[in-house]
Amino acid sequence: MEPEIKTEDDMHVDASEFQPVEESLSAMQLEQPQGTGLDERDMPVHELMGVFYQRIFPYKTYYHWLNYDTVPTKSFTNREFSFNLPNDVYVRYQSFNSHEELKAELLKELPSKIDIGAVYTIKPKEKKTTRPGAFVPVEKELVFDIDMTDYDEIRKCCSGGNVCIKCWQFMTVAIKILDRALRDDFGFKYLLWVYSGRRGVHCWICDERARKLSNEARSAIIAYLSVIKGGAQQAKKVFLPKALHPSLQRSADILRSYFPQIVLKDQDLLNDDEGWKKILQCIPDEETRKTLSDAWNADPSRTSTDKWTDLVSELDSAIGTLKKNPKRADALKNVELEIMFQYTYPRLDENVSTHINHLLKRRVCVPIDPEKCENFDPHEVPTVADLLCELNKYSGNVPVKEEGERKLHDYEKTSLKPYIKYFENFVQGIFREVRNKKRAASINDMEF
Amino acid sequence: MLRQQTSTLIREYGTGEVKRNNKRYPHYLNFYDIPPMDNISIEEFEKFALDRLQVLKALEAATLRNKPENEVKEHLQELSKQYLPMHSNDSERVYPLDEERRKDHVSHFILRLAYCRSEELRSWFLKYEYILFKLRYLTVSTKERQEFLNHQNLTWKILSRSDKDMMKADLQAASPHVVVDTETFFEVEFEKVLDMVARRSVHLRGGTAYVPISDQVTLVMDEFKNRLAKALEITAKEFPKLDEDDRIMPILNNINRYYLGNSFANSTKVTGNITAFDVDRLVEHFPLCMRHLHRKLRDDKHLKHYGRMQYNLFLKGIGLPLEEALIFWRKSFSKFSDEQFQKNYAYNVRHNYGMEGKRVNYTPYKYVYPESKPAVKIHFAHFETNGSCSKIINNNQPGPEEHHGCPFRHFSEESLRVTLASVGVRNDAYIREIINLVRNKHYQVACTRYYEITRGGERGMMDTIEHPNHFFEQSYKLSIKQGDS
Repeated sequence: MEPEIKTEDDMHVDASEFQPVEESLSAMQLEQPQGTGLDERDMPVHELMGVFYQRIFPYKTYYHWLNYDTVPTKSFTNREFSFNLPNDVYVRYQSFNSHEELKAELLKELPSKIDIGAVYTIKPKEKKTTRPGAFVPVEKELVFDIDMTDYDEIRKCCSGGNVCIKCWQFMTVAIKILDRALRDDFGFKYLLWVYSGRRGVHCWICDERARKLSNEARSAIIAYLSVIKGGAQQAKKVFLPKALHPSLQRSADILRSYFPQIVLKDQDLLNDDEGWKKILQCIPDEETRKTLSDAWNADPSRTSTDKWTDLVSELDSAIGTLKKNPKRADALKNVELEIMFQYTYPRLDENVSTHINHLLKRRVCVPIDPEKCENFDPHEVPTVADLLCELNKYSGNVPVKEEGERKLHDYEKTSLKPYIKYFENFVQGIFREVRNKKRAASINDMEF
Repeated sequence: MLRQQTSTLIREYGTGEVKRNNKRYPHYLNFYDIPPMDNISIEEFEKFALDRLQVLKALEAATLRNKPENEVKEHLQELSKQYLPMHSNDSERVYPLDEERRKDHVSHFILRLAYCRSEELRSWFLKYEYILFKLRYLTVSTKERQEFLNHQNLTWKILSRSDKDMMKADLQAASPHVVVDTETFFEVEFEKVLDMVARRSVHLRGGTAYVPISDQVTLVMDEFKNRLAKALEITAKEFPKLDEDDRIMPILNNINRYYLGNSFANSTKVTGNITAFDVDRLVEHFPLCMRHLHRKLRDDKHLKHYGRMQYNLFLKGIGLPLEEALIFWRKSFSKFSDEQFQKNYAYNVRHNYGMEGKRVNYTPYKYVYPESKPAVKIHFAHFETNGSCSKIINNNQPGPEEHHGCPFRHFSEESLRVTLASVGVRNDAYIREIINLVRNKHYQVACTRYYEITRGGERGMMDTIEHPNHFFEQSYKLSIKQGDS
């Protein structure tokens, strides 16, 4: 069947629908670190959260971001918020008229996680009082989710929910590649990359055009950006066409610069026969596979980088000798690149339900600058307890205040400062555009 | 009076006048922007609607079963001949083009009224009208297409020569099937060509897609879809204002529930009349539901009321006359005495054959066209569906110890698996496919797949099984054909 018709079929089932929040979320708890002395780390969770919501949470910026304007708009007032409450209850369809209202509610409920949902035709908290059918989602940022657990089959350092600086590099490439594609190909400008606080990153695309995309368009973009396909039962997951789409060409260039370090050095994936067997399975030619595996079995001590050189040159020579058999030769031409894609291209979570923004799972959810994402280390991101520690330490040794000195925000006294600064700048960027648009519109009006 | 009302109704949401050309319908393709301004009799109204529905339902069946596009196209042509013939301008001398196109035009608008009333109906209609238009678009000659597009004033911004030269390499890489130098490219928003975006088969830059003219169909389809979706919304809003009596309203309200299959009203002729002793021999051609009933009848020497009714109607449909049916049931109920049988069961058998009670000749399925006088109210009681799949699936859910119903609907997944395996569906992939259809509530499609799998060949049939006798006939005919060759 032609794909045109198929996409029609898929229209209503794709997971990228901007239906708001996923219902079932695993119970989530604050990590209880093994502190020694008595300090903030031993405070009961709700007290921790209380201080956090009272002193640190950046309400104004948060509100400005989701409101896309300084005066309240439907973008904020009709937006669904959902909370994970401390007693493991999940509440949906919360909405607020202002950031003050939001603050009051957060302080009252002390949620351990906040989900941001879609903007609806009417205020979500009034959902029950309206007739069914009138309550419909209208817009929502386009959101992508990359989860470290999807990399388990290609990382050796960690697995499951754990992340270290080595495997975090997969996230770095993912950000680099997707950021370029979303900006260059789709023309999006306002991309907010955030560390989820746990084991992955999310990208919130906030451009007006992105917020207004249909579900179908969201699925199409996900499909455009997805290269790795197939489940555990399928060894080779990437098949590239002979002519590489410009977007893939650009990705290939980025991959080439990361692959040797991440896959061959950090992960050292060709080191043992378990690792190289997997990679050899991606070569659709029995002879080549055998030659390589014989050579490496004979001398397993060669480094992954050496073995990769073997693989590339063996592929080249196989293609050379297969001249009489162009079909088999063709099948080998892209293999080197296909392996690189399979081992470094971003693994998009296709089931992204866009419910994101875990305020904190283990660590606080913070933005990542895509320009500097190679320097980002998830372990440097503070937990809520860390922040309170820092806050207390700061007030412990405040120098005597000088006359006229501006009063610092509490977050400025913590390691959250640079993240919030970045977030504020991001929101300012959106505001500039909104203002320019308004100005242009009013000039247009005057002309009439 | 109906005339007036129909045209009022149409004027209410209509936008313009029909173009008065020397020909009313100069184009094979139609975007259905302008409603028909005709007078139409109620018979025609209903017939047009049902005929178009036949075509759309067939497209649905084909799509649900993932038929390749060329097969769907062939099948559509077959069906169109019967229900909705359409010919291109080349055959002007041979076919009454205006008449064909009028029917196409009018029937589209009737169904639009019938299908505008809920989100679900709208999206169903949109989906299959989309496929229908697309297949037609792909069938017609390039020249006629272009004439149509010109007439519609459909144009897109053309990529300038200098820009094209600048991004030549990228354009070529994204569209390897064209020669960039000689190809015209359109500049459109990527939202207009989502399926090309999803397949990564168009060049994108800054949110703009560069679409080669050879992929123009995607743009046309986008336009078609947007216009129809909008029109359906508008129709839905205007619909309640419709001041209509109860002549066309019942048709509109019920059309989507019509059963459109063959009626099997007169005992079938594929087998000729059969005797009570032929039944066992024919079981291999029975659909699962009837096979199951037959086996239970043999095991238990008994069937409960609804089981008897379902099976008896089916047997009647395959050509078992009343006398033979009485013999069949008498012999099957061997643990009962003659007297018990006569007293408790014979009556029902005769009843099914219309020889008792109201003397309604129950048919496995009966479709009666309403009396063709416009003034007569249409009563939907005329549309009896005794014995059709939808009735078996939806009515009289089987209780404990009851064996009637549709195995795809009423069996647990586990017992369905076992049953399928017992009738020869052993391939895991097939079983999974069927189970998936069942999970998505496509019971009849599942049955059809079962038919295709067990009757050999992917190309078994195109119509979804709508009736157990339909299944039987197909299977029986196939065996005769194979016996011949």
